[in-house]
Amino acid sequence: MIVPARRNPGRRLALVAGLLASLLLTALAAGCTKGGRSDSGGQATGTTAAPAAPAPALEVKLVAAAKVPPGGLSAKQAAQRAAPGLEKFLDRYLTEAYVEAAGGKADWNGLLGLFDTPVRASARSQLDALSLGAAAPQVSALRPSRASARAVVLYGAQRPQAATVRLAFDATADTAKGSGQVHLRSVLQLLATGEGWRIAAFDSRTGPPK
Amino acid sequence: MTRRRAVGGLARRRRAVALVAVTGLAAALAAGLVVAVSPRRAATAQEGAAVTVQRAHAGSATPSFKKRLVLLTIGSDSGAPKFGRGGSVESGRADALQLVVLDPAKRRGAVLSFPRDSYVPIPGHGTNKINAAMAFGGPPLLVATFERLTGLTIDYYALTSFDGLTDMVNKVGGVQVNVDMNLRDHFAGAFLDKGRRKLNGGQALAYARARKTLPGGDFDRSRHQGQLLLSGLGTFQRQVAENPAQVMTWLGVLRDEVRTDVPFPELLRLALLATKVPPSGFRNVPVPGAAGMAGGASVVHLQPSAYSLFGRIRSGKLS
Repeated sequence: MIVPARRNPGRRLALVAGLLASLLLTALAAGCTKGGRSDSGGQATGTTAAPAAPAPALEVKLVAAAKVPPGGLSAKQAAQRAAPGLEKFLDRYLTEAYVEAAGGKADWNGLLGLFDTPVRASARSQLDALSLGAAAPQVSALRPSRASARAVVLYGAQRPQAATVRLAFDATADTAKGSGQVHLRSVLQLLATGEGWRIAAFDSRTGPPK
Repeated sequence: MTRRRAVGGLARRRRAVALVAVTGLAAALAAGLVVAVSPRRAATAQEGAAVTVQRAHAGSATPSFKKRLVLLTIGSDSGAPKFGRGGSVESGRADALQLVVLDPAKRRGAVLSFPRDSYVPIPGHGTNKINAAMAFGGPPLLVATFERLTGLTIDYYALTSFDGLTDMVNKVGGVQVNVDMNLRDHFAGAFLDKGRRKLNGGQALAYARARKTLPGGDFDRSRHQGQLLLSGLGTFQRQVAENPAQVMTWLGVLRDEVRTDVPFPELLRLALLATKVPPSGFRNVPVPGAAGMAGGASVVHLQPSAYSLFGRIRSGKLS
């Protein structure tokens, strides 16, 4: 009377439906997390380095202007000719100072080689302002997010002679404690030598955003 | 029995409902986890939990020089077509002569301003007015004359003309000068009131040339020339402090308007060093002398105190 025969199929149906729903959702959950598992692993623990995405290639976006002597190239032509070499130099600087310094791999000699001799000793004593510096061993990986520069190039009769560069670089650094932002804002006075550009003077700040 | 079956059915229904509820809860939990660990959410969580990787560090440096620097600045009376003065700038007479001595480590120095009529020995040319040395043998002979006179080794010279000075000042937008007297000098075209003034190229040249109506004559003139040099340094520093790329502007102007034996890399280093040497760290010293005559010409005889001054400079005493 209370348990009509017809209720039994319904109860079974509810059980089956519940199980199916459970299986479906479990499968859905598994499917959704596929591919994101490596991200979530680091994030879930919160104590290990968590590279959230592959590091984008470092590429300095440079805007250059030039000052030229009378009777030579136009300022526009001179700026265009100087730009690739400057970009390459700034790429190298940021790579040495930040990207490759992560993980304590830097010995800084490569970076210091980019400085003109009369300023090299000062650069060595101020690496924290110019690079990851003393923080480098704690950083497991560094992911650049922005690198931009504005340059004024002094162009000679045939080639660039010097340049003033305002450089801005933002990146995310991964450490054992988590991730944080690293920012570089600097003014570099560059000298063109037979071996490429060298930093002849600097005014630089590295650290978290102000 | 019927009642037991009824009770048993109720229990089964409750168990079924509970099972569905637990399953749903598990599903919801799973779905929640999925959302929580999806890449977008992970990135957001990461930003929120950003750690300080590095404290802020600031630093700056300009080139360091190990030894004292001595630079001879020369104003030639030739090679200025705009002022109707022909010839080459190197073969003219040196009418403005400043010896700039800089101690890079202490970031201070002295500007010794020489009267152009200083009557001194010129190697290979007897004794004559010092400004004739360049006409006799160009900048190298003038440098040799100064080295013999002062006992100092001159590292470099920098030479310009009337045209060069006026163009230079105009191209950098003028120089701030503390004009130290009211000037009404028709000969030099200097009409300036005492006080802090921004001078254009023509006014700067007039200030550097005015002599005949000045109480101290050639001594006042040479002092003004040294003052103009240090005013240029101050203007350079102010402009670079506002915009570091002004270093390139000034170097371009120097390159176009000044003849020098300073190699470009050294010129850049000196310019960068100059951003950190305050003009107040320089003494503007007119070299002591007395007006006199030699061979019917008006000359300046350097006083013994001038040679004492050179000795002090040689021994590194700039103050």
